Amino acid sequence: MTNAGHRITDAHECSQLNELKMDMCGLNMLAGWTTEGDTIMVEQMPIFGGYCGGIEETAICDVATTLASFALFSGNFHLDGPIHIRWGTTTSKETLQIAAHAAAAIDANTDLLLANQYYPMAGPCTEMCLIETAAQAISDTGSGRELLSGSAAAKGVVQDKTTGMEARIMGEAAKAAAGMKVSDLNEILAKIVPTYEAKYTSAPAGKTFQECYDVLSVKPTAEYLQVYDNAVKALRDFGLDIKH
Amino acid sequence: MVAKKYLDIYDSYDRFHNGKRVREDSWDYVVVPTNAMAMREKYDINFSEDIIPEDDDLCDRLFQAGIEMLCTTGFYNTDIGRVLQISEEEVFEGIRRAPKKIKIGSGKEEVCCAPRRGNPSGPPIIEGGPTGAPVTEDIFVPMMQSYAQEATVDVLVSGVLNTIKKHPSITNTPWEIRATLAEIGFVREAANMAGRPGLGI
Repeated sequence: MTNAGHRITDAHECSQLNELKMDMCGLNMLAGWTTEGDTIMVEQMPIFGGYCGGIEETAICDVATTLASFALFSGNFHLDGPIHIRWGTTTSKETLQIAAHAAAAIDANTDLLLANQYYPMAGPCTEMCLIETAAQAISDTGSGRELLSGSAAAKGVVQDKTTGMEARIMGEAAKAAAGMKVSDLNEILAKIVPTYEAKYTSAPAGKTFQECYDVLSVKPTAEYLQVYDNAVKALRDFGLDIKH
Repeated sequence: MVAKKYLDIYDSYDRFHNGKRVREDSWDYVVVPTNAMAMREKYDINFSEDIIPEDDDLCDRLFQAGIEMLCTTGFYNTDIGRVLQISEEEVFEGIRRAPKKIKIGSGKEEVCCAPRRGNPSGPPIIEGGPTGAPVTEDIFVPMMQSYAQEATVDVLVSGVLNTIKKHPSITNTPWEIRATLAEIGFVREAANMAGRPGLGI
């Protein structure tokens, strides 16, 4: 297998450091990829409550670092992911606001290609995880992002706690939100987000991939399919016309 | 007429190399927060309760604040302890030179990522995967297949193998390189198993 299976039609990823920082390892990788003419995604996850400070200051740094991905580091697209310093999630109200404002500001003034990544609090096979993921997909789609990347359930830090079902809801929620009026999306988000934020301190840990799928057939369990149906029903009740 | 200057990665390194030396703790605790607060005040950036902004003027001011934040603050290189400076003209040249669309994947699975401009009816590209979350070696392929087989997924993003051949893939060691290359092979295998060999990674 040439290049370990990596093709010219795939992308490379390099991450900036928090905040407005880069290291030589990143620069050296970028030098190789740009010289080869590869497609490059540059990542930066600004920390709300960290060095930047509050919501607005973090959004300003988010815009600055996004622009740096193109102006300094030869990125082809930028992967965002504002993260909450207390919760370690991207789905909190504050981090959704930061990502949405930064994306809308850049989208209104440029044709840059913008992505965002997903770190919900709850683990797989829980309605909370799916609804958190859907909320972010609504916010990212409504604010003009071009690519959604995820989802790293259980904050992306627990072994084997990610599955394809979370990507299913991310995609279906994005499809349902695309084309809707932003004011309508904000109304839906105002109803959804408080329901799961109230459970952040008691979020369900969820199940591992091995518990969510038959590992040989790679089929989700009946239990997870039921949880998914329940989440879709809840989203429809919130006003999102998501495909069942 | 002289072409406007675009900073490539080599120019960026030279700017870092010749930049002002700053202590990292000063950068983190003084420079970044002070400048971010100043930009917030100068451009009057205050969010409402809305998650997605509906105020066009606020979006424009936030964009200007971000540009000025980058140009007045610069960027810090943690290995050499120096700060790169970039002009507004160079930022705009970087924006101008950035690709307006990119293609990812091949054959039937090729997708085109292009500007959406607001919230049109065309949805964003869906990149499915664990997004860097840790995955056990034994189930890496079926887990990635669970994403590749989803109809909503357009491209794949990998998880992280924390062992390779049962050996910990420790950062900054040859084992990390081996694990990274194995991840690519495993993701490709998962795409093949889902009948979508052209999926972009």
